[in-house]
Amino acid sequence: MIDTVRGIVSVSRARFVRGAIAAAVASVAVVVGAAAPERRYTIAFANATEEPGVSVEGTGFTGAEIRQSFILAARTLPIDLVFYDNRGDDARAIANAEAAIARKVDLYVQYHRAGAGNAAVSQKLRAAGIPVLAVNEPVPGAPLYSLDNAAAGRIAGDALAQFAARTWAGQPTVAVVIGRVSTNPERVQGVAEALRKHSRNVRVSMLETQGNPAQVAPLLGPLLAAQPTSKVLIAATDDATALVAKAAVEAAGRARDAAIVGHGVDRSIHGGFSDRKELDPANRASIVLGSVAFYLDRMGYQVLPLALRMLRGEAVPARTATPHKLITPANVFAEYPPYDMN
Amino acid sequence: MLRAALISVFALIASSTSPIAFAQSDCKSVVKPSPFGPNDQTGATNRVTPAVTKAAAAEIQTGKVTNMSYPLVDGVPLFGSRFTKTILTATSLAPGASFGENQLTYMEDTWLSQSHVGTHLDGMGHIGIKDCYYNQTPMGKFINQNNMTKLGLEHLKSFATRGVIVDMVKVYQDAGKLKTNAACKKPCLDKGTVITVADLQAGLKLYNVTLREGDMVMIHTGWGDLFEQFPAQNALYNSGEPGIGKEAANWLASQKVVAVGTDTWAVEVIPSENPKEAFPVHAILLTDNGIHIMENVRTDLIAAEAASTKRATFFVNMTVPKAVGLTGNFVAIDAIQ
Repeated sequence: MIDTVRGIVSVSRARFVRGAIAAAVASVAVVVGAAAPERRYTIAFANATEEPGVSVEGTGFTGAEIRQSFILAARTLPIDLVFYDNRGDDARAIANAEAAIARKVDLYVQYHRAGAGNAAVSQKLRAAGIPVLAVNEPVPGAPLYSLDNAAAGRIAGDALAQFAARTWAGQPTVAVVIGRVSTNPERVQGVAEALRKHSRNVRVSMLETQGNPAQVAPLLGPLLAAQPTSKVLIAATDDATALVAKAAVEAAGRARDAAIVGHGVDRSIHGGFSDRKELDPANRASIVLGSVAFYLDRMGYQVLPLALRMLRGEAVPARTATPHKLITPANVFAEYPPYDMN
Repeated sequence: MLRAALISVFALIASSTSPIAFAQSDCKSVVKPSPFGPNDQTGATNRVTPAVTKAAAAEIQTGKVTNMSYPLVDGVPLFGSRFTKTILTATSLAPGASFGENQLTYMEDTWLSQSHVGTHLDGMGHIGIKDCYYNQTPMGKFINQNNMTKLGLEHLKSFATRGVIVDMVKVYQDAGKLKTNAACKKPCLDKGTVITVADLQAGLKLYNVTLREGDMVMIHTGWGDLFEQFPAQNALYNSGEPGIGKEAANWLASQKVVAVGTDTWAVEVIPSENPKEAFPVHAILLTDNGIHIMENVRTDLIAAEAASTKRATFFVNMTVPKAVGLTGNFVAIDAIQ
């Protein structure tokens, strides 16, 4: 009995010891596994253009800001970046893809206008076994991360319509979309849809500036003069246009009759702690109600995690859209915390 | 009419002398409890015990003193709208204004300055999340027009402890990953560089240092070179900085240090790892752990000293004025070896 008990104990001890050893080995393995650095990936980003001063996507952002967002986002990820500049040119885009293939990158992020260039890039990279992630413009066979211009426009239109309902209920109101109207049809359509959802009969005028701020006042001035008793809702396709529209409204003495929403949220409309830009917590009475964020200065933070998921063999959606949001003086410091000392 | 006016005046006076009413948060769900007890207002200087000071005193071997402060003068980089101005009172120098037959004269200064300027220390009341500050303090209840009524500098204990210089420039050079900023006259980590736990550990290993409870950790990034070039490089210095990330901040907190300082204006990496977070390392160190932050510390001289002597530890000579209700103050620091 005692022996049996001893035997049981003995077996139990042996099991315990073996178990302990196994557990210790497993623990060491886990620790070693945890401590082992994750494999680093080389990801190429072929930017649409990095020409200084050239803005992208009908906003105030430049290609350099997009590139910088990739650099910042990669800091805490197991990623080494290689940059290319497609310069808006198909031949250059194809040459860049060939260079990346020669460099044996693990994944290629392509930002280039849709068309034959993207098709050729896709074909070459697929043949080399390099996955592609498309940005803003489709690439055949590649998942796409892109802006949602229609959604952004609807956010702007909603903001204007809701302001009008709160402030000018029952008063005659007209609406204007001003800026790069013809090259941003989805954005413009989104604005118009949202305005009409709130007020079916509202008249929405389109004023095309072709991105030239000097055209804003000559176009907006006559409209304001023709509507002396109406309230005016102004959706600007970009922030620079929104700011110039505000100046034009003020010059016409109609600041009390207008409300403006921009698109983009670039640094021209928001700033840091001491910048005192238009979207500022201390400027809540501005007739610029806000601007719809496009986050092009944070695109890397959205795109690189998607790229990593692809590289780890995870499924990603065929299309991932930017989470656009209305930025106002009330939330600008939450969304864009002022971080520099200037 | 007069009576109504008087009532209005009394009401105004009453409202201006009452504590300011803030929306109250449930601070127990926002900020971690202090490791030093529910009533603590001191923070990490609780760790500087007599034993810690005695052990730190053993660092004084040659008596060599190395300056770790930048000059505080017009033109140095300042955060946002901060300022520091002095006015000299020298009326005693006027003919006939001296005192007594020995003709004693005197001069004084009026120093009109914000406290977080130059080489300075962040106190427990500097940073919060919502209205919640160190030790779950609902700060809205403890401020008046002039100062805080809780967590002020008067509660701090001694900084007579061991200092450790961690030379990140050397770590990055040795690892072949230093990407210096062209405006730095000496090698520096560029802004946006995230200093990791592995980097800190490599820096400590350079001189075989193991952190001890109560240590003051100073990190040399080289970015202070731009401070030294004031005012020429102020805009660049202010535009961002290399610094520790959240992981490194939590690791330093786990080492139970008393303070973390750098030759930058915020200690932490700017832009932050997460662009939607504001100064998260400040909140980790100060608000959640009661660990002081020291900014614009001159670290290049002690880093050079460590490189030549192979000793990265020193005795810290620094005092903080018992300034009642202040959130921080400029300080002078010496490293004694």
